[in-house]
Amino acid sequence: MAYIQITGWGVSVPDRTVSSAEIAEKFGVDEDWIVSRCGIRERRFVADGETTASLAVEAGRRAMERAGLTGGDIAHLIVATATPEQPSPATSAFVQHELGVAGSAHDINAECSGFVYGLIMASALMQIDPRPILLIGSDTHSLTTNPADRDLGILVGDGAGAIVLTPGETDWIHSWDLGADGSRTGSLQAKAGGSRMPMTQEALDNGLHYAKINGNEIYLNAVRLTVATVRKTLQAAGKPVEALDLVIPHQANIRIINSIANHTGLAQEQIFTNLERYGNTASASIPIALTEALDSGLLKQGDLVLLAGFGAGMTWGSVLMTWGGK
Amino acid sequence: MNMPALEDLVGQLESVSGAQQINPEVPLMQIPDVDSMDLMEWLYSFQNEFPEAKADASLFENEDGKTTLKLVHERLMALDTAVSA
Repeated sequence: MAYIQITGWGVSVPDRTVSSAEIAEKFGVDEDWIVSRCGIRERRFVADGETTASLAVEAGRRAMERAGLTGGDIAHLIVATATPEQPSPATSAFVQHELGVAGSAHDINAECSGFVYGLIMASALMQIDPRPILLIGSDTHSLTTNPADRDLGILVGDGAGAIVLTPGETDWIHSWDLGADGSRTGSLQAKAGGSRMPMTQEALDNGLHYAKINGNEIYLNAVRLTVATVRKTLQAAGKPVEALDLVIPHQANIRIINSIANHTGLAQEQIFTNLERYGNTASASIPIALTEALDSGLLKQGDLVLLAGFGAGMTWGSVLMTWGGK
Repeated sequence: MNMPALEDLVGQLESVSGAQQINPEVPLMQIPDVDSMDLMEWLYSFQNEFPEAKADASLFENEDGKTTLKLVHERLMALDTAVSA
């Protein structure tokens, strides 16, 4: 049986930094108000010519370099995104072409849970085809958010993160959990532009192609669902919360992260956050944080690490692994 | 159900938000240091303690901007009555 090992990781974020002071001025609020609401001090926005695929390509290239591989070595490319390059074809097609990936390419859209979903899908794929897989999370919500929407406008940032999974003989993953509750599609949605509501001039005029968030529902359910998935995954592995060396949550909002920590019994020093510098980068937030944790030495060989995410849908997922193998 | 008294509710929200003193008769929107996420954080704990009450974010419906903690407490009591009936 082939297990996954993660042998490469990389990040790509736009050069353009947008401070919360700049966002505050745009919306007529105080910078402190933004920071107190979400913990975000700055984020990166794409410039002209930068796209979901271009960020994904660069992150993927860096992850492959780290793994000592090229596109020709990659059997499968998976891109997690909720802000695709265009409606059709999949973003992964553009990334596959740029990176010269030799094998298959497809997208996953589980919103902000996409990377965790992708990791589990990749692990399953490795069982039947033990060859290298490139998994990328990439999103550019600055391009898809209503410029007048303060609720989302203070949160979003752009970026991409990638990992290379190669076959190994030692199992890294202790346990995992994925889930969805489609009764909550209204919590965060962009209504127009699909088969349910094709794009029309009227929809465009009413801004229905922009994502709209019900912040109260998202907060409540993000906490509830993430607390549940963290507990479930730890329980499945028979590990207490104290055994965790590091938790890398979806970098959505520091208030949500703090609440999850409070209700699961996690100590602050167990949790990695970097959203104060990147904002909420959706599918990219966990791989960007994972890469920073690895490059800074915070996540080391033998550490017990939990990745946990939630997203619109709603979706959720968590993975518990020992870095370097059990 | 053993629903919290109004004073308990005030204390719980002060604890969650860090607000020094909450006047239950002042509209929630006018209370410094209390925002919607504080209310949701309180609601999450309440839902865990009283799942049978089926309380949700509508407790804080505030179309006219005049919803107070006292009114929220009255809505809670109405939930309690509905469940007990």
